Amino acid sequence: MTSGPDTRPPGTGGRAHAGPGAVVVLDGVTVTYHDDDDEDVVHAVQEATLQIRAGAITSLLGPSGCGKTSLLRAIAGLERPRAGTISIGGAVVSSVPPRGAGVWVHPERRSVGMVFQDGALFPHLTVAQNVSFGLRSSGRKLSRAQRAERVADMLALVDLTGFADRLPGTLSGGQQQRVALARSLAPQPSVLLLDEPFSALDAALRIQVRAEVARIVRDVGVTTIFVTHDQDEAFVLGDEVVVLRDGHVEQVGTPDAIYRHPNTPWIAGFVGEANFLRGTVDIASPHHADTPLGAVPITHPERVRAAADVDIAVAVDVLVRPEQIVIDRGTDDSHASGHVSAVEYYGHDVRYEVELDDGSVVAARTQVPDLLHDGQRVRLVFDGHPVEAWPVGPAD
Amino acid sequence: MTDLATAPLAPAAGDRDPLAHRARSRATAALTLNRIVGLAIGAVFAGPAGFVVWRTLRLGDELGDALGEVPGPLWRTIQLSVLVSATTAVLGTGLAWLTTRTDLPFRRFWRIALVLPLVLPSFVGAAAFIAGLTPGGVIFDAFEAVGLTPPRRFRGLGASWLVLSAFTYPYVLLPVSARLAGLHPSLEESGRLLGLSSTATFVRVTLPQLRSAIFGGGLLVFLYTLSEFGAVQLLGFDTLTRVIYATRQTNRALSFASASVLLVLAVGVVWLERSQRGRATPDDRTSTTAVRPVLLGWRRVPALAACFVVLGIGLIVPLLSLGAWARRGLTAGRVSLGDLLDPAINTATVSVIAAVLAVGVVLPIALATTRRPHRLSDVAAVSVVGGFAIPGLVIALALAVLTLNTPTFSRLYQTSALLVFAYVIHFGSQALASNEAAARAVPNALRESSRLLEPNRLRRLVRVDVPLMRPGLVAGGGLVMLSTLKELPATLLLSPIGFTTLSTEIWASYEEGFYAAAGLASLVLVALSAALTWFLVLRRSDVVGKR
Repeated sequence: MTSGPDTRPPGTGGRAHAGPGAVVVLDGVTVTYHDDDDEDVVHAVQEATLQIRAGAITSLLGPSGCGKTSLLRAIAGLERPRAGTISIGGAVVSSVPPRGAGVWVHPERRSVGMVFQDGALFPHLTVAQNVSFGLRSSGRKLSRAQRAERVADMLALVDLTGFADRLPGTLSGGQQQRVALARSLAPQPSVLLLDEPFSALDAALRIQVRAEVARIVRDVGVTTIFVTHDQDEAFVLGDEVVVLRDGHVEQVGTPDAIYRHPNTPWIAGFVGEANFLRGTVDIASPHHADTPLGAVPITHPERVRAAADVDIAVAVDVLVRPEQIVIDRGTDDSHASGHVSAVEYYGHDVRYEVELDDGSVVAARTQVPDLLHDGQRVRLVFDGHPVEAWPVGPAD
Repeated sequence: MTDLATAPLAPAAGDRDPLAHRARSRATAALTLNRIVGLAIGAVFAGPAGFVVWRTLRLGDELGDALGEVPGPLWRTIQLSVLVSATTAVLGTGLAWLTTRTDLPFRRFWRIALVLPLVLPSFVGAAAFIAGLTPGGVIFDAFEAVGLTPPRRFRGLGASWLVLSAFTYPYVLLPVSARLAGLHPSLEESGRLLGLSSTATFVRVTLPQLRSAIFGGGLLVFLYTLSEFGAVQLLGFDTLTRVIYATRQTNRALSFASASVLLVLAVGVVWLERSQRGRATPDDRTSTTAVRPVLLGWRRVPALAACFVVLGIGLIVPLLSLGAWARRGLTAGRVSLGDLLDPAINTATVSVIAAVLAVGVVLPIALATTRRPHRLSDVAAVSVVGGFAIPGLVIALALAVLTLNTPTFSRLYQTSALLVFAYVIHFGSQALASNEAAARAVPNALRESSRLLEPNRLRRLVRVDVPLMRPGLVAGGGLVMLSTLKELPATLLLSPIGFTTLSTEIWASYEEGFYAAAGLASLVLVALSAALTWFLVLRRSDVVGKR
């Protein structure tokens, strides 16, 4: 990761400054909410333990209400965890007794930048005044000229040179988010937090702005933590993805690892479309499962073996992605035949639903030279890498 | 409502249709029926002020002599208005912040309770303090009970400042609370993350967002103080209104000159406030996430104490004082609630009529400004809004002299019709704001879609427009009713002989030194206002409701 030394201002004292690309470590962090009457306590995050790689982009992915924003706000210091320890660049910023030492660093001293969902630009200040806002806080000794130079650099970085004297109200949504990014990067934070920053933008703009943001934060080399409920966004932007559910960390890994080797069926379904085929695994040869599509290779035989007890065959749910299914027009073969029950045309590919003769429905994404039509008889074949399988029984 | 008629029914009638041409040309003409009605109403609202200025300019030589006597009262008026608005700006903002953004104990109770001083007319408040400080009054007794000498004198600038501040700070508290409640927390959080302490964040981020609310509320307080008559009269502080009242029959030149100066002052302040409004577009996103309250820690104690003191001066002490005198009178059999029945009925009747009329009269203007904005409609709206800036006393003076000296209008002199007319002109602006909000409650898209579903215009009005506008109209009428209940100077000048309202009853009893009767009538007035405030204003406001 480049650290962009040319844009670093002198004198950044007063804030715990760990330089761009600080590692963030969370240990047993629990965040709770009270309602207005201090009655009901809601656990937003429970015992989250995580290490965020320095200088990389990490996506916090989960459905709404999973606690991902609470976790982000705890790192920023906008929420006070009930338990656990958070450290940024090796310095503890939040630690709760009895397990921790009782440390609390105020948000303004954490060297953390944050871009909010709505941008949160100060409506009474111009673009330039917004960007220079964090450069004027106590402890920074930048001259007026240095500040102006830094603001110009930041506006160039987000490609908004010439907008310096505009008021936020006159900017488009995408421009506002870029100003917000420039404002949070101007003081050179060690960690950049993004809270669903693209969710207010429409689809086309969204893809453009997020590509630009990814380029900028990679240029700067700042450790970036990014909250989203959109799996595409998490995968496209994230070097690493943290999947959260009901306040718990479910899985941490690269996008590819999470897509192809999810820990649980729930993750499998959350990060993409999943067919769960009912099959059986013979303990004697645990490297493949017998499914309606024939023998499918599986990756974690030990997971199946652990459930075996005394049985010699274990019933499993086998994860088969729609793109791992090939549709064959022949109708001669005995197994895995059925008829097309739905056609969705996407252009780059076509999604079919096929109702097998046993009544189960399987989704397949594929490109076939000629479009299949509703009701057409087809045969399905598995074609892909080894997949995950889970013994039937325990939930998820 | 005529607006509905001007738009063509068929969405795309085509250019060959002559009807479509006619409809379009009518819609683009500057003088639509709606705007003409609006302008006429605006002219009527500007009438009294215009008359005062015209009369003053015709004074000739007398004008110079009269203006020579103005500077003293003018200086006192400015002194008091500036002091009171500055005090209420600080007090209202501080209390709004405490009750919406901190962990102040019982803050939901305070959110309601701290608005309540609004139900006390300031002249009643002043009377309550004076009565409380005389031997036998609750404040006098309280001082004696703790072994202190009660203050001998409760008059002049200090007393007027205290009383007016204590009863007008809710004009700042309410808009600032609403603004704070709607302010998105991410703004303040951004301030913190960019390196500011919580205090610095308040000054550099929050305060600029509150600016327009504070200025708007402060302007209301300034205008209120400027036109205040009853309290300063009781507290012996010689402001312009006192001069106008005292000289209205003996020295009409001075009376009109003072009224004109007061007018210029009011208009000048309104203009100043408008020109000082921030150039930034207000951040009108509404807050979705809950705000973490600021933890006060040990500061909870002084914060609570401040709330208690404010509520004590603005509500509890005056009520106790009035109650003590009323109880004394009732037990001695010198006053009875029965005597107040007629004034109470009179008060309620004129208030309801004024409220209904005010809402109805400004509705065309509200529809014109919201549905098809145009410069001409804005002129009419400014004229109505200006009615609030013109002191009630000035309006009453103009109407009294006008009807007395003009043969065509002389039959109106000392009729309840003229009284109600004065109320409508003075308080129409309060109905206008609510009416505009009500008109906006029926968005264009909704009006268009209802047109496709229900072709009958009248039934559309009944089924769509009225139900959606009703809350706004009722709230606006409630505000006018509440203000009318509390009004004193116009009622004093314009009431028909023998027609007493609760305000004039309190005034007369007090002037005769009859504290028991004044106390009882005040309590009845407060009960009436409190009930109306609760049902029509507070229950609908966002500030009190759970966020």
